[in-house]
Amino acid sequence: MPNNVAASAAEEPIIRIVDLHKSFGETDVLKGISLDIKRGEVVVVLGPSGSGKSTMLRCLNRLEEPTAGQIIFEGEDITQPKTNINKVRERMGMVFQQFNLFPHLDALHNVMLAQQKVLGRSKDEAAKVARVQLERVGLGDRTDYFPGELSGGQQQRVAIARALAMDPHVMLFDEATSALDPELVRGVLDVMRELAQGGMTMVVVTHEMGFARDVADRVVFMEGGVVVEQGTPEQVFEHPKSERTRAFIGEVGGKE
Amino acid sequence: MRTTRRRITAAFIAFALCLSGIFGASALAPSQASAMDIVRCTGRPNSDDDKTTIMGATQSRITFEASVAKDEGVSELTLHIPDGTTFGTDDLQVTLLTGDDLMTRTEVAYDVAADGQDLAITFDEPIMQEGHLNVIVYDVFFPQAGGDMQVEATYKLASGAEETVEDIPAISVTGISATEALSQWLSEQSWVQAWNSNRFLRLFFDPTILVTSFPVVLNGFFMSIAVVAVAFPLAIPLGLALALMRLSKRAVIRGIATTYVNLVRGTPLFLQIYIAFFGLPLAGIDIPNFPLGVVVMCMNSGAYMCEIYRAGILSINKGQNEAARSLGMTRAQTMIYVILPQMFRIVIPNLTSEFIVLYKDTSLLAAVGVMELVMYARTIVASTGSITPYIVAAVFYLIITLPLSKVTRHLEERVRGGRKRKRAGSRSDDAAKEVAHA
Repeated sequence: MPNNVAASAAEEPIIRIVDLHKSFGETDVLKGISLDIKRGEVVVVLGPSGSGKSTMLRCLNRLEEPTAGQIIFEGEDITQPKTNINKVRERMGMVFQQFNLFPHLDALHNVMLAQQKVLGRSKDEAAKVARVQLERVGLGDRTDYFPGELSGGQQQRVAIARALAMDPHVMLFDEATSALDPELVRGVLDVMRELAQGGMTMVVVTHEMGFARDVADRVVFMEGGVVVEQGTPEQVFEHPKSERTRAFIGEVGGKE
Repeated sequence: MRTTRRRITAAFIAFALCLSGIFGASALAPSQASAMDIVRCTGRPNSDDDKTTIMGATQSRITFEASVAKDEGVSELTLHIPDGTTFGTDDLQVTLLTGDDLMTRTEVAYDVAADGQDLAITFDEPIMQEGHLNVIVYDVFFPQAGGDMQVEATYKLASGAEETVEDIPAISVTGISATEALSQWLSEQSWVQAWNSNRFLRLFFDPTILVTSFPVVLNGFFMSIAVVAVAFPLAIPLGLALALMRLSKRAVIRGIATTYVNLVRGTPLFLQIYIAFFGLPLAGIDIPNFPLGVVVMCMNSGAYMCEIYRAGILSINKGQNEAARSLGMTRAQTMIYVILPQMFRIVIPNLTSEFIVLYKDTSLLAAVGVMELVMYARTIVASTGSITPYIVAAVFYLIITLPLSKVTRHLEERVRGGRKRKRAGSRSDDAAKEVAHA
């Protein structure tokens, strides 16, 4: 999908990943990933379990510390020790497979907390933003519900609202629908789709082939800690260059 | 206080007697009325708690002592025991104390006749010697209500003249409480006597001691509660600080907290109490019993709470931490606003258990003289030889621990049950709504 606004930003990628390595003890999970993500681009990362795609995503906001390599976010190398990672994370929203809502707070306060504590917004302002964001994900009538009272799909949408309330420049989705019952997946995907259409820069790790096909500007296929292939959904799904990509798509069911 | 005053009075009278002996013998020609002057009239203290108190409805004795002048020939002494006071007449002790130091004791032969509250002592020989006539009346029971007991005394001289002993001090008797009276009453009941004839029942469940120890041990109950009421809230932040230190990234901080916790948890509380109560005074640090007891209990409990908190924090899904950090919250903010509120919900049952343990452990303070439950019970046990006060103490522990245990169980079930409250039907409704939304 076209995003003219971002294209004008001097073609400067919002995130530039340079030769990223990550190992857990002896195990090398990422073996040199290089990837540019342009402003406004929706990048969907596919790959079999253990391919390192989630780890790569978690390195982007340093929930995992990269072993080597650089991540340049909006012109700043955030792998430098002097980087204030909290400041970086304000601009990088993340949505988790397990939602990770704060169970002791209702939906509204889940969305308000970081606005108040991190951005220093007043209570009223935070509440206003929270209501707008909850409305946006279709939960305007669930503001006083606690996570335990919400379905998985609703919880995940609250989690998306929570991240959006921080006005992030990038949204990272880490298998956001994998823990959901099948009938609840669509609601979450719809929210993500709307977000993409609104011009949000998104890096999405998922198994949802349909979403990748419809929404992605670019599909990245990872396996064994390296990027095997990338391109537009048409290229990757219809004309995969790599045998492994073809095998994976055939297995998971590239056909919708 | 009272005894001191009495002693001063006695000394004064003795002094006055000396004076009259020197000057008054012939010159002042004392009237017959001064032939017998009161020296003292006292009851025997009979309280276990206080060595000067004379209690009503409890066995005591009256000591009456008056000076007699030489050659007066006192032939009869009548003591009027105050109304409501009972006394025995079989075991009277009548002694004449003579000599310069009044140390020579002479038994006096007499006949005794009791008429109502009057106790008439007729001497076989009129008393001609100078000295103090000392009469002890045994088996005295003052009225339960207490009050000032005025003994009156009259005497007859050989000449037939009848005189009154003036200015006899009243005996101040402390009334006994309702429970003590109840105990007295119980002890006279036949069923109680039958009950107590069983050695086991008497030893452990003596009704008379049960009722008297209750109010006394109650004092200890309040003390124990007071110790816990101060120590427990103070231990909460201490334990929290220790837990956060143990989770610190810095090895030194972690090491300090770990060492402290291991030392405290690895040694008996009893020993810690001993070290604090006997060690600190030797080191020149004098802290009163109550605050010191509180401090020791608090420091001990803090270590246990540390582990409760630590386990609570570690039990929280690390996704919570990641979610908060991914939103840009600092470690401290994450801890304060996300982790700790959840942790407290999780650890409340364990904290309640810790409260129960702490409350029970206050009993160890008895060993160092803090007047808590067991200590009060022990004083009564020591004076009565019955174990019953310990049973009363046990009851005082149970009225706190049993309900709290129940509360703990309830809380545990709630924590395990998760936080799915109200709006029970929401899940299915929402599933339908999701589909509609999609």
